[in-house]
Amino acid sequence: MASDVLRATIRDLFRFSLSFRFGSIILMFVGILLLLSFFSPFESDDRRVVPRNKPPSQEFILGTTGNGQDGFWLLTFAIRNTLMVSGLAVLIGRSIAVMLGMITGYLGGKTDRVISSIVDSIIVIPRLPLLILIAAILQGEMTVLSLALLLGILDWAHPSKRYRAMILSLREREFTHTAIFSGMNAVKVVVQEHLPFLIPLLLADAVAGFLWAIGMEVTLSVLGLSDLSAPSIGTLIFWGNYHHALLRGRVWILAAPIAASVLMVVGFYLVSLSLSEYLDPRTRLSRLTMEE
Amino acid sequence: MTLLKEFILPRFVQWLIVIFVGVTITFIIPRLSPVNPVNEALARVQMYQNIDPEAVQVMRATLLDLYGLEGSVLEQYVNFWKRVLKGDLGPSLASFPLSVNQLIGVSIGWTIGLLGTSILIAWTLGVILGSLAGYYPNRWWSEGLEKSLITVYPVPYYILAFVLLMAFTFYLPIFPLIGGARGTAAFTWEYISSVLHHGFLPALSIVIGATAHRFIMSKALTTTEKSSDYVQYAQMAALPERKILLFYVARNTLLPQVTDLSLSLGALFGGALIAEFVFGYPGIGTTMYTAINNGDYNAIMGITLLSIVGIATASLLIDLMYPLIDPRVRYR
Amino acid sequence: MFSLPSFVGVAQLPVDVPREEVFVVDVIITAPVPHNHNFWITGPHPLVTHAIMMETLWIRDQETGERVMGAAISDPMYNDDFTQMSVELRDNIYWSDGVQFTADDLIFTVETLKATPGLNARGWHANLNKSMASVEKTGDFSVTFHLTEPTPRFHSLLEARWGAIYMMPKHVFENIDDLPAYTYTDGPYLGAYLPVEEDPSGVWQLFVRRDDWERSPAGIITGNPGPKYILEINYGGPDRKVIAMSRGELDVYYDSDFESFQSTLETAPAARSWYAGFPWGYMGEVSTRELIFNFGSETQPWFHEKDVRWALALALDIQAVVTDYMGGTAKLTNMPVPTTPALTAIYHDPMEEWFQNLEIEIEEGVMYKPYDATIPDQIAAWAESEGYEVPGDTRAVFGSGWWAHAPDVADRLLMKHGFSRDDGGNWLTPDGNPWELEVLSDTTSVQQFHFGNAAADMWKDFGIDTSLAAHERTLYTSTNETGQFDISGDWFSFTLVDGDAWPVFNIFHPDLVVPVGEDTRTTGGHATRLTDPKIGEFIDAMVSIGPDDPSSFELTTEMLKYWVENMYSIPIVAFNKFVTWDERYWTGFPTFENPSSMPLYWFMGGKLTFQNLKPVDS
Repeated sequence: MASDVLRATIRDLFRFSLSFRFGSIILMFVGILLLLSFFSPFESDDRRVVPRNKPPSQEFILGTTGNGQDGFWLLTFAIRNTLMVSGLAVLIGRSIAVMLGMITGYLGGKTDRVISSIVDSIIVIPRLPLLILIAAILQGEMTVLSLALLLGILDWAHPSKRYRAMILSLREREFTHTAIFSGMNAVKVVVQEHLPFLIPLLLADAVAGFLWAIGMEVTLSVLGLSDLSAPSIGTLIFWGNYHHALLRGRVWILAAPIAASVLMVVGFYLVSLSLSEYLDPRTRLSRLTMEE
Repeated sequence: MTLLKEFILPRFVQWLIVIFVGVTITFIIPRLSPVNPVNEALARVQMYQNIDPEAVQVMRATLLDLYGLEGSVLEQYVNFWKRVLKGDLGPSLASFPLSVNQLIGVSIGWTIGLLGTSILIAWTLGVILGSLAGYYPNRWWSEGLEKSLITVYPVPYYILAFVLLMAFTFYLPIFPLIGGARGTAAFTWEYISSVLHHGFLPALSIVIGATAHRFIMSKALTTTEKSSDYVQYAQMAALPERKILLFYVARNTLLPQVTDLSLSLGALFGGALIAEFVFGYPGIGTTMYTAINNGDYNAIMGITLLSIVGIATASLLIDLMYPLIDPRVRYR
Repeated sequence: MFSLPSFVGVAQLPVDVPREEVFVVDVIITAPVPHNHNFWITGPHPLVTHAIMMETLWIRDQETGERVMGAAISDPMYNDDFTQMSVELRDNIYWSDGVQFTADDLIFTVETLKATPGLNARGWHANLNKSMASVEKTGDFSVTFHLTEPTPRFHSLLEARWGAIYMMPKHVFENIDDLPAYTYTDGPYLGAYLPVEEDPSGVWQLFVRRDDWERSPAGIITGNPGPKYILEINYGGPDRKVIAMSRGELDVYYDSDFESFQSTLETAPAARSWYAGFPWGYMGEVSTRELIFNFGSETQPWFHEKDVRWALALALDIQAVVTDYMGGTAKLTNMPVPTTPALTAIYHDPMEEWFQNLEIEIEEGVMYKPYDATIPDQIAAWAESEGYEVPGDTRAVFGSGWWAHAPDVADRLLMKHGFSRDDGGNWLTPDGNPWELEVLSDTTSVQQFHFGNAAADMWKDFGIDTSLAAHERTLYTSTNETGQFDISGDWFSFTLVDGDAWPVFNIFHPDLVVPVGEDTRTTGGHATRLTDPKIGEFIDAMVSIGPDDPSSFELTTEMLKYWVENMYSIPIVAFNKFVTWDERYWTGFPTFENPSSMPLYWFMGGKLTFQNLKPVDS
């Protein structure tokens, strides 16, 4: 039953939304690359296994790096790690944000005031310097996992404010009152009536979080503050710079991770765009009218 | 009176709390850093020179005293606030004997100039292009614009900046490699034009990303407004399109965007760390990065304090002004 | 896709001076206090500045090892028991305001430093209080120091390697109340160049040659005017230096690596380094790069076993380290003394026979000779196969022999102490856990990072679960000094350029060792945390022997043998700073063919390097 709805939704989306079509194809491509990493003939931290700095050829379709790694297989690991870092970060950050947004939005009163004050105080602290500082404090303990955790716990303040505002406005809407007067319990109201409005926001927000997390991953890696032996979009760029890829005219070494990061985020962006359009009650209405 | 008591005062108290908590957190964190400013200073001194171990001890004591790092963390914290309330951010630990005030004074102008200009340009461009594209979603130019900006938007900022740097200082060396201007500051065309020349690439890198972001937001807002009832009525009433766009749609979409603008202007004091790092620009972000690397607590604190006050004040002002701008919101 | 630029951009220097009159120098750090020239206080002063505007009594040339006269004209002259030191001063040098430099200035300088706790840069205030009883004027240009105890190295306070006690202008400073707070912005200075303009944030500083440059030590020594202007800039990392040079906006830089240097060769046609061709770089700075063990580590207690340390050394394929990771641009050394010409003559050559006969015991009664004298020849053979020409004797170019790549011997050494290999061939520690090793490296020191990578890769190949922790300089340093590492890439030399060990070796004294977690810089000790009392005995014995005494070299040789036998550190290479200059505008920089002075321009002797320059036209 549920799977039927899902299938129908996806079919609809594919048919009516150009951005969904493009986005999902891109994401599929990225997903395939990610899966390929599990079949790589090399370990992720293998070095000196192929000749260094060879341009793309039939043997090495994305060339080889200055550390003697195969560019293609390395990229598959990088996509996996970067998606893991940013995905986990988004998950952690949004979970905290949704929780706080709901608590403050629904409970209101003193709880709201206290938590909101704390959130406001944290929002004003500039995040990048804080991140660099903490990364420096963690030193060698920086792994893919701890980076994800760190990014996650630094990215919830802004979204939680947005969710709170959304919930506040929903709470005041007429249908909330109607539902409560007609004896619906609060949890049901939230899940059935409010979530559909929250999800588009959440989706758009998750993509923004994704962008931020990838950007930070790259920034920290370029500054040498992440786990440099774990391939990721950021560390690939770090090693490319370290071996002066652009200076030496070895464009392929940097082009691959850059292209991959753009593809990933554009894919997610397009899919989220189409999903929020699809889920937005107002546009859904106009679509239905069109179909008739 | 009630306005002051019920509306302004709570917000002012909130403003104080935000600054207090924010500053306290940033007071603690740098002190967990493994980089210790006293040891850094000792290392600089020991470079290329053997120093008698006893002399090292004496120097260490002198440095602790000079840097105000004697006593418990709590005492340091109390002293810190005493100083700050007098407007003194203390001595810089990595650039001793310079004070943090001087350190910030040298670099803040560059950041305000670079970042302020870029933010304003990007905001204006983004709002105009975004509203147009949102209002005329099916024109070739709006689709082309959207597609290209959506592709640029997700490129991590560092990558964008680095590619610009390599392209226009190395492959095609038409922009300067480092610094904010030529020669010593003077009110001459020569100096001013050199400021523009030096600032162009970093500004461009910031404008590209920020414009794309603003464009996407603005377009989304316009699309929503456009489907609202009053616009539909206006269209049915055959009001001129330009009039609808300017007087109905733009007015309503502008409000949340002005909020964003003032918040980003408030965040200005935090600097553009990566932009300044990549382009060797002498702003406050570079100062911050140096401070972090050298464990210069005082400089880290000083810049963070400035940045926190900037953002908190910006949002306080927005809060206070909102009812003036938007009649739907009441002072309550 | 991209082609490298074939044209040269118009130079865009930050200052308005004719390009052909200015020599542009990269200084790797930004000075946030550019207009503060008070070099007697602790402050982040720029690297080069002190050399061109300040004077010390003597300068030690790092290439020749010879003492160069600065403000002094005689060597330090001690009495028999080293309780007095006398010196004769130049009678023909002047401050930039025209006042003559005399014995009064020197006496004022040391007495003021001794009396003022705030003037304690490099520990001068403390050191003078400890060793100088009084100072006596014996003539207008001669001075005698009376010392508190026999101090055969008292003059090292006044002799600059990088810096030393700088002379103060008495006629100006005696009128200043608070010297530690004085910025000394307007001079007068004793050096040949004066600061004229600077970037407020310290990225660049412009200096102009004094009109009366002939009345400064560098002017007198070289007899050459040198460039009219010197511009110091911090361009940033290797990439930016290469770009700056390709644009004609930089005349000399250092701290680069062979890959970015290649780009300089391609984009700046007149650029070169020490050698005109392969292996290009200058490898004569008196320091070595090595891997050190953390003897305070609780997770690697086996570092205290000599055999484990030897096993790690023998698992390295040094030929591949030099060729594959450094492009052959390195000069080997098998002990913590660099293979510069002078030090090779003092230590490496006399010890060569001992190295060749050195044996380690693999198993009871089974001896092994680890030294392979042919490694430089192997590297030379590789270079020739790459089409390079080796400029001279292989040992002079590529340094000493090194330890053979002998993983089988390393295996046996480890097994002897209870290490074993699991089914996958990975090493297990004596307690049966996988052997995890972390190599700490500094990303800012490009050469160190190269061999840090190499060591991590090779030990991984050898079956140790090795990871690389790479940090930017300050973070690396604090991690290193607080002992948060297993193995770390470090740099030091056990002797100065003249072969004297005590002044630099004393930091290894067991008394200075601090526990892991505390910073060694608080005592001035060393990060390796070696507590061998025998090392302390060596150091104590060195204190009282004069630096020129032959027994000093004998003692140092004994100490080096003891160190090498125990493999207390794994020295890899002598420094290669890749000092690179562009001969587009200026010529006369020291080279292999013309080693007039040291190319290490950021040291005190750099003033001579600059003063010797001539415009390309003439």
